[in-house]
Amino acid sequence: MTASEPLLHVRDLRVDVGDRNILKSVSLAVPAGALMVLMGANGSGKSTLGLTLAGHPRYRVVGGSARLAGQDLLALSPEARARAGLFVSFQAPPEIPGVKNNLFMRTALNAVREARGEPPLDAFDFLGDARAAAARLGLPEAMLARPVNDGFSGGERKRNELLQLALLRPRLAVLDEVDSGLDVDGVRAVVQLVQGLRAQGTAFLVVSHYQQLIEALAPDAVLRLDQGCIAETGSLALAGDIARTGFVRAAQVLEA
Amino acid sequence: MDSARADRLAARHQLHTHGWIARQAEAFRHLPPPAAAVWLGDGADDPGCEAHPLAGAGWTLHPIGHSPQGRVDARWLDAGDAEQRAELWAGLPAPGAAADAADGDAAPFAWAHRALCRQGLRLRIGGTPGAERGPTETVWLQLRHQPRSAVEAPLLVIEVLAGVHCVLVETHDRQAMACCRQPVVQNLQAHIVLGAGATLQHLRIAAPGAADCIAHHLHARLGRGARYAQALLASGSRYHLQRSVVDLQAEGAVARSAALLLAADSTLEHQVRLLHGAAQTTSAIEDLALASGSAHAVVNAHTRIAPGAAQADVRQRLVGIPTGGQPKLVLRPHLEIHHDQVQAAHGATWGALSDEALFYARQRGLDERSARSLIVQGMAGALLQRCFDDEPLLQALHTDRLLREAVARHLAPGPDAGHG
Repeated sequence: MTASEPLLHVRDLRVDVGDRNILKSVSLAVPAGALMVLMGANGSGKSTLGLTLAGHPRYRVVGGSARLAGQDLLALSPEARARAGLFVSFQAPPEIPGVKNNLFMRTALNAVREARGEPPLDAFDFLGDARAAAARLGLPEAMLARPVNDGFSGGERKRNELLQLALLRPRLAVLDEVDSGLDVDGVRAVVQLVQGLRAQGTAFLVVSHYQQLIEALAPDAVLRLDQGCIAETGSLALAGDIARTGFVRAAQVLEA
Repeated sequence: MDSARADRLAARHQLHTHGWIARQAEAFRHLPPPAAAVWLGDGADDPGCEAHPLAGAGWTLHPIGHSPQGRVDARWLDAGDAEQRAELWAGLPAPGAAADAADGDAAPFAWAHRALCRQGLRLRIGGTPGAERGPTETVWLQLRHQPRSAVEAPLLVIEVLAGVHCVLVETHDRQAMACCRQPVVQNLQAHIVLGAGATLQHLRIAAPGAADCIAHHLHARLGRGARYAQALLASGSRYHLQRSVVDLQAEGAVARSAALLLAADSTLEHQVRLLHGAAQTTSAIEDLALASGSAHAVVNAHTRIAPGAAQADVRQRLVGIPTGGQPKLVLRPHLEIHHDQVQAAHGATWGALSDEALFYARQRGLDERSARSLIVQGMAGALLQRCFDDEPLLQALHTDRLLREAVARHLAPGPDAGHG
């Protein structure tokens, strides 16, 4: 990555799911340490963008490019993308019955640490870090010993995503409606976590409809995705406009 | 002629008269066992084999942790000695004595066993507790078996006295033996009797060598309010049969059977037959079968609720997952219900691991093999948890490590990496 190159650089990305073309042409750039908010109506392609960047096999790239820290992201396996520093939170994180949360997270963290050239964390050290992070996020410690997302409420699943984010400390985090299902304390915890990680250099692409969260995050830019294209780029004011007028109105204003 | 020899010859005669397991025998039709001659060792002397004769220790007993002493009466008995032979088989049913047709299908194995058996072990668990120990204290035991000859028919008889709680780990691990690769034919019979209110948590590990032919037959009889939980961890071989028949003939008896079956380019069959003959009996069968390459794995689960077994509660859940190649996986859940007031549920699912869970793990940095391994370990761990419902026990038995190693062997790439 050259000094002028953004951390994430997506150019003319086109993606099919099955026989449907979802992303028609997406181009965006996220500089290192920046925070951008991605907004868009339901079905506009926000989740598709995140899962495509993560390498989900159901999302077929038919054109364009995506580079992370100068690397061709699309050429990498999902785990190689994660080890390169990409974290994508799931809207509906799946459960993994029988696999204890702390074992899952420690295995993942040590795989990422190995890729970074860092020594693995033993169970004792990991547990200390995980307990502290869980406490900050308002996740009961008992959740660490329970199977991954198994029997978790919607809010607990989201907090569990945040816990993994906090422990993995990625270079770029794509948070897909991480606020949905969270109570006010949870939303506050999101803001604190994001601010803390930004201070350490993590960049964010945040998908959200929640104006209060967006304002609290103080994004560098707000993007509006419409029918598989970035239709508008603006400041926090754009999020305010969308909150007032809605996505349909916003699109009409742009066309006029 | 001494009576021991006469008994062996009579068993051979029975086998000869009734014949070996028929091709159409329902219980064995998906994976017919090798012929009787294999189990009897007829023509087993291979002049081309230069290996030393097997001289394993047979059955050996080992304490686990701080197990209370003096509560296990163990007797190693010589089946070639008339008196000891009589003691060895005392109280055990004759082969095929049960009216149960499926039991009759397996009777030739029992006759072949009687014809060949040279040694057996009888355990009486409970005894008189020491003055400083309470009668409810758990008895912990590990029982290991190593083959004593290339073709053998070991016998194990376990009696858990009324009210006694026992944890038993039984291992048949030929993969751990670094030096011996001589194929073994093993026709094992085990009989377990639980007294009223007794409990037995039984972890069984059967990891034969790739060329071994193994048939383990376990019969358990449960007294009033007795609880038997068996968790089996088995890998495939040239032929590998694990067969359990549990008789719930007394009120309030509970039986649970769970199995993780790992077959890679090998064969493996698990037959479980639970017979509810009394009211308020409960049972559950849960199998997770993983097969890969050219493996042939079969799970036969059969629960029978006899007339009069009111309020019986039975469940069966079979899961088969192909993990690569073109394996053949057969799951057969079967309920036979002869009473109205019962609860019964059964199900079988075939399919790959959850794509979403797999992708999720990979998105967090795990490579595909590690992700698969972790997910399978989780499924297997949950299976054992449901079987024993005893987290401290699982920790004490280090089941996490056992599962991790077994699953890693199964998922390892290449023909030499694992044959389970």
